[in-house]
Amino acid sequence: MPIEISWLRTGKASGAPDDKRILDGPGPFRIGRSADGEIVLDHPQISRLHAEIFVDGQTVRIADKESQNGTVLAGRKLTSPAVWEPQHEVKIGPFALRIRWTERPPAGRNARDVDATAIAANAGRERPDTPPITPAASPVSPSPAGRAAASGGGRGSFPGQLFDQRIVPMRELQASGKLAAEVNFVAVGGGIGSFCWADHLRIYGVPANDIRVIGVADDKRPYAKWGRLCRNSQIPDTERIRSNSISAPDNIWGFPGYASREMVRDLLQGRLAGLKHVLQVFGEPALTESYTPRTIDVYRSFDVEAKRIGWDDMWIYGQVVGLRKTDDERYVIAYRIPSSHAPDTTPDQRERFIVARYAQLATGYPASNFLPDLQVFRQSHPNSTAVVNAYEPHDEIYRVLEQKGGTILIRGRGIVASRVIQRVWEARDKNKDIRLLHLVRSQIGAGHKYDLSRRALRNDVEQQPFNWPKSCWGGTLRDRLERASPEERPKLLASWGGTTTADRDDWNKIIEEGTKDGWYKIFYGKVASIADKGGKMVTRLESSDRHHENVDLAADFIVDCTGLVARVDETPLLADLIKTYDLPRNKAAGDGAELRLAGLAVNTAFEVTGLQNGRGHVWAAGVVTANGPYAAVDSFLGLQYAALRSADHLSLLGAQHVSRFGPLRSSTQWVKWCLGRAP
Amino acid sequence: MTPTLLGRWQTRILLYIFIGLPVTFLFALYQSAWQWPPLYTQSIFYYPFLFLTLILVLGLLLDVVYIQIQRFHWDQDWPFAYQFFFSILEFFAVFYLMDYGILDYVYPLFPDGYIPFKAAACHFSFVFVPSFLALLGAIQIFMIRWRFKGGEFGRHAIR
Repeated sequence: MPIEISWLRTGKASGAPDDKRILDGPGPFRIGRSADGEIVLDHPQISRLHAEIFVDGQTVRIADKESQNGTVLAGRKLTSPAVWEPQHEVKIGPFALRIRWTERPPAGRNARDVDATAIAANAGRERPDTPPITPAASPVSPSPAGRAAASGGGRGSFPGQLFDQRIVPMRELQASGKLAAEVNFVAVGGGIGSFCWADHLRIYGVPANDIRVIGVADDKRPYAKWGRLCRNSQIPDTERIRSNSISAPDNIWGFPGYASREMVRDLLQGRLAGLKHVLQVFGEPALTESYTPRTIDVYRSFDVEAKRIGWDDMWIYGQVVGLRKTDDERYVIAYRIPSSHAPDTTPDQRERFIVARYAQLATGYPASNFLPDLQVFRQSHPNSTAVVNAYEPHDEIYRVLEQKGGTILIRGRGIVASRVIQRVWEARDKNKDIRLLHLVRSQIGAGHKYDLSRRALRNDVEQQPFNWPKSCWGGTLRDRLERASPEERPKLLASWGGTTTADRDDWNKIIEEGTKDGWYKIFYGKVASIADKGGKMVTRLESSDRHHENVDLAADFIVDCTGLVARVDETPLLADLIKTYDLPRNKAAGDGAELRLAGLAVNTAFEVTGLQNGRGHVWAAGVVTANGPYAAVDSFLGLQYAALRSADHLSLLGAQHVSRFGPLRSSTQWVKWCLGRAP
Repeated sequence: MTPTLLGRWQTRILLYIFIGLPVTFLFALYQSAWQWPPLYTQSIFYYPFLFLTLILVLGLLLDVVYIQIQRFHWDQDWPFAYQFFFSILEFFAVFYLMDYGILDYVYPLFPDGYIPFKAAACHFSFVFVPSFLALLGAIQIFMIRWRFKGGEFGRHAIR
């Protein structure tokens, strides 16, 4: 899809761009003073070749070419190539540059058929600690180009006719000249799900050179995309995420957890308050607020473990376009390396195959959700920055609110909504002239009931420490769900899940304070329309029992906090697999919008049984297995559980180097972890 | 913690065997003034073993009650604080049952019904503190599947 780049001299009174160019193809496109470039900016502060732009699928990257005065993306000076999101501005000398897709991809068209109830239910699944790992480059919408590619035909012919076969002969692969490697283990996704799998395999005994991880994230770090979505959804590095102490993806034993590590660190620095963390773990959730780790500590722990297990050596930067069984009981994975990561190569050279006996699919959320009415608005106002999804970069909104004041409308009542409300409350420290309208579909009378208990309800939101009842991870409810029939599972999941937020005292106080002081107001209703009336976004509510006449809510900004899309068929790779091998999906609670949660059918070891190929096996992890035998698939601990089950299964299958991991190996490996030695 | 009933039982027996019995052995030996074979076999040496075993038996019975209490929690969990509190409760229950001679009918080993509280409390603490620390994380070092199985041993079944 072509992109349009527009630029204007900063400091100009009018907002109209000076000029624009439409660029088609992968690039690189040169920006500089030189007339040879695609974009010529003539100014003494601009170097001859100042920067380069690369386009790959839905991802636009910009690299500074060691220019005299530097290139600034979203307020940060570039030191290495970075992804240029359409919401961001690039500053080069006195010019401000923006990009947009000239054929805007339909923003999350997947959600159009989803009614608001279903969206509200989806919001509960979305959490800051969900691991969004996706090979689809754009967070907003999957690329039609990528979809075509996955079916074997798009963008050139790679992997072409070879992948029209359900079983690919090895002879033909070897003849293609594109076979890059043959290993035992390949992880597809490259995010936290892949990391947990690779971490388990390494600790169970597999050498790093027998594992490959293929992913397209912003960079090699397993939390690259998750971290970006955290920051976008207003969780800064110092904030705490909704995750527990023992949900430590850097430590397969769950001990020591984040709480005790934080306590030790605090005590060493002479802060006695550090004892609080362990007391929280002692009393939670009945007597104290549950402990949650700080984002920055989670990032750091990933870095340390990634280094220990040799993550960087296993990592391949590539967009996986297909997976097929081979005729020797293995799998072939076709992937394409973006030009930005393999300079001086032809497109043909960047198309590769890798063959493996065992594979894991952890591709994560394909896109962020957009409420249907907001999609309609975005399509008719493609340049509007006043209506955003909470997972898109939207810091600018808070900056404007802090400077000028104004009204912000928040849609949805999940964990992200809570955090965005907190961010608005923080903005009110700088400007008291900020008002918040909170729009949710309906009032909740009482919390969900299950067995002998009822979920807590406060400020019209159901509250629980994590996105599922705690025993879903390893207790009675895990056991219950595993034993349940596929038909029974969606019903159980519906009663345990849904939209909830964490029972944080500070969040409750903000709402109560805001209601009292009048700057926070909650509205219930379905949206009839959204219109831009002289810069104000006016949301009109349908009439209902509550209000018979149409109600208009005028706001400067609208933030959609209803979450991420979980549909497996929105990920081209998975859609292709489902089609090619007739893979069954998990059951949904209904046959309408609920289908979006029907993930790949897996057994309790997370194996995609439909993909078995003799001695070859494929496992899945994360949200792509939603509605299956495990509830909390999209959480740190859930990803670790999936990895553990898969590693134990591999050991049972007699896979090379995979130990049984009994008490002796477990404890010696734990000592190695403590000492920071390679497994 | 989010134990299952089977997990509670298995973990309790595990801690009894790997922490309870060795600690009790040392404690009993200490009470016999480190004499081997012990001088007053019945009343001094075996007594702590019986005391501990009675706590185990009472605990196994109470686990059925505890698992019902969990159903009143939305999270179906068992906070560490509860574990702490109820362990001490179990100690006092067995102590007073014996002290009042109620257990004499059950087991005629303590005809006088008298138990020195200080000794019993010391013994219990020596067993309880390391057991509680094991629950807090040490077990996981040896058995990584334990936390995902509600305290049960072994690998997961594939269904």
